[in-house]
Amino acid sequence: MKKIEILKLESLSRAPMLVEGYLFEGNDPEAPSVAIVGAMEGATTLPLYSASKLVDFLRNKLGTGKILGDILVIPSVNHYALNINERFWPLDKTNINMMFPGYGLGETTQRIAHKLFEAIRGYDYGIVLETRSDLATCLPYVKLYKTGYEDIESARRLGLRIIHHREPESIETVSLQYNWQLWDSKACSIVCPHQPLIDPESARIILDSLINFLNNSGIIRYETFNGYDSTVVTRERIEVVQSPHSGIFIPTKKPGMTVSKDETIGKIVHALEGEVVHRFLAPCDGMITCTYMHSLIFENAVAYRIAKIH
Amino acid sequence: MIPEITEIFSSELPVGETLRIQRARFTPEKPDADAKRISIVSGIHGDELEGQLVIYLLAAWLRDHPEALRGTVDLYPAVNSLGVDTIIRGFPLYEIDLNRAFPGARNDFLPAQVVHALAEDVEGSDIAIDIHSSNIFLREIPQIRINKEFSEATLPLAKELNCDFIWVHDAVTVLEATFSHTMNARGTKTLVVEMGVGMRLTKAYGRQLLHGILNLMQQEGIIETPTAFKVRESFTSEVGDVFYINAPAAGLFVPALDHCDVIETGQWIGDIVDPLSGTVRESLYAPNGGVLFTLREYPVVYEGSLLARIFGVNDEKN
Repeated sequence: MKKIEILKLESLSRAPMLVEGYLFEGNDPEAPSVAIVGAMEGATTLPLYSASKLVDFLRNKLGTGKILGDILVIPSVNHYALNINERFWPLDKTNINMMFPGYGLGETTQRIAHKLFEAIRGYDYGIVLETRSDLATCLPYVKLYKTGYEDIESARRLGLRIIHHREPESIETVSLQYNWQLWDSKACSIVCPHQPLIDPESARIILDSLINFLNNSGIIRYETFNGYDSTVVTRERIEVVQSPHSGIFIPTKKPGMTVSKDETIGKIVHALEGEVVHRFLAPCDGMITCTYMHSLIFENAVAYRIAKIH
Repeated sequence: MIPEITEIFSSELPVGETLRIQRARFTPEKPDADAKRISIVSGIHGDELEGQLVIYLLAAWLRDHPEALRGTVDLYPAVNSLGVDTIIRGFPLYEIDLNRAFPGARNDFLPAQVVHALAEDVEGSDIAIDIHSSNIFLREIPQIRINKEFSEATLPLAKELNCDFIWVHDAVTVLEATFSHTMNARGTKTLVVEMGVGMRLTKAYGRQLLHGILNLMQQEGIIETPTAFKVRESFTSEVGDVFYINAPAAGLFVPALDHCDVIETGQWIGDIVDPLSGTVRESLYAPNGGVLFTLREYPVVYEGSLLARIFGVNDEKN
């Protein structure tokens, strides 16, 4: 393993931000290569943790001679945000994951995106570890944009329960995954739950999925347990459950749980008077994929997303 | 004249408060059947306040001149009302830029519901003006931003608005999520104004744009008054180029020029300094002559931070 410098950025008063990648060179020139990008945002830690645990696995646990194809892991691209719990770039609040393919002569986050993209272009596969952009937490799932270049087969090798296969929004045309696909890498994203503290179960699922991917793609040789035979879900199959009242949100079912139609999945309590003002009932049979992630909920906020069982 | 105040969107907040987005509508007592409707929008970004002043001035003018009104004037001073009152640019809590969330949807997350409600409410207007104040980092002269895709319809209107600069830019996919793109695509001729700086008011700019809006409304028959609103002739990006000056290093940017100065090629624009060592890290010089129409206001910079924009032509004699 060797560390390679992806970019270095000076600051007025803070110590320079040095972004490094961990490059594990494979021993089989015919084997495919993969790059994995961790935290581009700073308010959640699972992308960072999952990537760093993968570095630990490859460096300390896999054993010698078992890495066939090149693997580049970049656990963090945004130390400055992570260190102060800011979500986006700390000065101008721009989102690095909306700056691709980047521009070397542009603004700061365009330059960061440009340098990152230069370092990860050309890999056969690309995996982005990210979180949802709304106020929702979720089960770990694969997000795969329909670009005409996407590859469901390789996304299945992660062995996660759900692959959300959908058209990108216009603002997502400047995301890393979208541009990575256009530049000939088979790229997808693992969407990680938002958690204030690391949940070992979610972290294990994400790490296992990365190891499964590497093994199933012939990038490492490692005997492990199979993941799920992923279900591909399109947007039409997602049922949105909105909150008819504001108040204190108490979910009783978590992302990843299967539910039956009319089953109670949560409630809202009046914030000042304590009465239950609403009980959420599942509108269909299915699996909860996302829930609102704060205790205080707005009226009409999306409280749940449920993947329907046909 | 008292406007009709309507909540175009409301949502209960968790603890004893209601989020509301309001519209003030001015209509004549006897509107003509073919009278036009104009919508003036501001506060899509919560840290931009210049539009608040313009809308105040316009509302006050309409109150004072009820006899002049022929069409409908809809005012939306604070689209991101939670953000305006809390100095938060994006939609609070969600950290979503509302001007990247259009057209939105009723069954999507809350920011998308807000922009959906706005777009639905403005739809049907003949003209819309979306007033922005740059951000807290940059000071801008009053200017209109126009997407080339819609410039045939919107450029003639922009020239009536008494702004200094009209910037016609290429169509970019990511900008399809903006208010202006959404409304132009729905048939409302929509202009974006950028002027001043975030979190502050520039009174002279407010009056300048008010004058332009009144002129446009007069030209479009929305008001009828004997007053002639003479407007300045804007320079447009089609006759020259925009030159960007980005910071080559991190530090504290100390400008050497004033905003709006007309400068020459090679002129000193400012320094990026290091207070700790007392040294100049970089000195910046103009790559081209022209008008310094954008100048950095917030001095802390990283490599790449935008410091200034110059509009000029290669032959400075022009």
